[in-house]
Amino acid sequence: MNLDLHNLFGFSASKKTTILLWLSVVFFTFSIAEISAQAKFAKTYPASKTVQLRLINRSGTVTVEGWDRSEVAISAYMEKPAANIAPQSLSGMIVINLVKDNQGRNEVGNVNFLIRVPYTSSVDIETRMGNLNVSNIQGNLVRAHISSEGDIILMNVVSPAVVAENGIGDIFFDGEIKREGSYRFTSMRGAINLRIPFESSFKLVATAPTTRSINLGSFPNNNMNFVGNGRRIVGKIGDGSATFTVTNQRGSIAFIRR
Amino acid sequence: MNCEQCQKLISAFLDNDLDEKESASVQTHLALCIQCAKICEDFAVILDFCHEQPASETLLPNSQALWCRISNSIETEIKAEHAHVKKQKQTEEKKGWFPRVWKFSFSQAASAVLGIALISSLLTVAGIKNYSAATPDPDIVFALPSEPNAFEKVLGKLGLIETAQDVRRRRIEQQRAAIEYWNKRIEARRMQWNAHLREAFDRNLNEIDQAVNEYTLILQENPQDELSGEMLDSTLNEKMELLREFSDL
Repeated sequence: MNLDLHNLFGFSASKKTTILLWLSVVFFTFSIAEISAQAKFAKTYPASKTVQLRLINRSGTVTVEGWDRSEVAISAYMEKPAANIAPQSLSGMIVINLVKDNQGRNEVGNVNFLIRVPYTSSVDIETRMGNLNVSNIQGNLVRAHISSEGDIILMNVVSPAVVAENGIGDIFFDGEIKREGSYRFTSMRGAINLRIPFESSFKLVATAPTTRSINLGSFPNNNMNFVGNGRRIVGKIGDGSATFTVTNQRGSIAFIRR
Repeated sequence: MNCEQCQKLISAFLDNDLDEKESASVQTHLALCIQCAKICEDFAVILDFCHEQPASETLLPNSQALWCRISNSIETEIKAEHAHVKKQKQTEEKKGWFPRVWKFSFSQAASAVLGIALISSLLTVAGIKNYSAATPDPDIVFALPSEPNAFEKVLGKLGLIETAQDVRRRRIEQQRAAIEYWNKRIEARRMQWNAHLREAFDRNLNEIDQAVNEYTLILQENPQDELSGEMLDSTLNEKMELLREFSDL
């Protein structure tokens, strides 16, 4: 069977060109409409190296990156109906609370944040729904909390206190363990993957009561106690100076050598 | 750092008066402790309000006269209290050092001595037993389920001490009451959320409820399973948190 491409659908070449032209016009019009449906907020604050960032978002993706500058740059892309944003700078702390700023409003669109902070800052971010990404942070605290669903990715984080909590979603941590540090990862369902240096030393309490899927990878398990038919692993790796508490109610836990 | 220490430093922390180390430990504690974080938030709101409002607006008119009245009433109260204490002391001195004389019969005294001897020997035996028992690594003992010893079991059965199950039952009742409260708030608010938010909330609540049901079933079959008890407790806490956080929207 031979197809006559020139007379496909019975249109002549000039008609086809016109149709294509119209289609592209319609496509670009919709794209522009899509872009204009997003409002942008941008603000920069001068900051000390130990500035604390506290962000509470309603829904959307939050990305926080550490950089080598003494300023905090906040960019927010707001889907319609656009949220109100009123960041506050209070004694070395930058607070953005979208829940408070938009309380009582029926419809608020997603807000996607890209925030750059000095890499020695403390970062405390939470959202009711959406993903949280933190990278290149070495401050005193890194906390990422999702009330319901979303993934948490903490990349290149070197902090003595790290907390990551979500409902349904994955948690990935890639960083170093500080002596005497405290590390807590909690999920309801998803995969918790922890990538840390092989020479790390910590006390471990890892609990996966439903799946019993706790994989220590290449970390030694000779000092480990398996509790409750393998639902929990308790023990020490190295001299155990830091504390590692990992709980995944209905998902898996895996340690990966960095 | 504990909550008491943190709460003492919150004010200085907000004023930026702490050194770097203290500030860092307060900040770490605030991230880990919801209660202290709320206190800090309240303080910050008050501070914020004070910064925003000019002094003339926040000061009451005639503040000096008001302060005078308050100070007068405090002084009057203190004087009255002093007079009362003095009177009480005088009556006690009149009564003498031993106002009551305890009188026992021989049989009462003998049974009291026997009772004390019995209790102290029981305590000694229990103490020696506990001391001689092999203790696991103290660093990891916090995460291992602890079995009650024989003495604790007897006292628990007699109703003299609360068993782990009693404590758990009481805690679950408290949590369920709190969940009921937050549920009512959610019911009032959820119609205002968009469809995505409602769906995400329902999916997560369903996931938590499934976990709660699983642990409840396990505990019905084996009430001694402390790990499931602990997990049930933490799951109910998560449910409370989810409800509380969404009720703000």
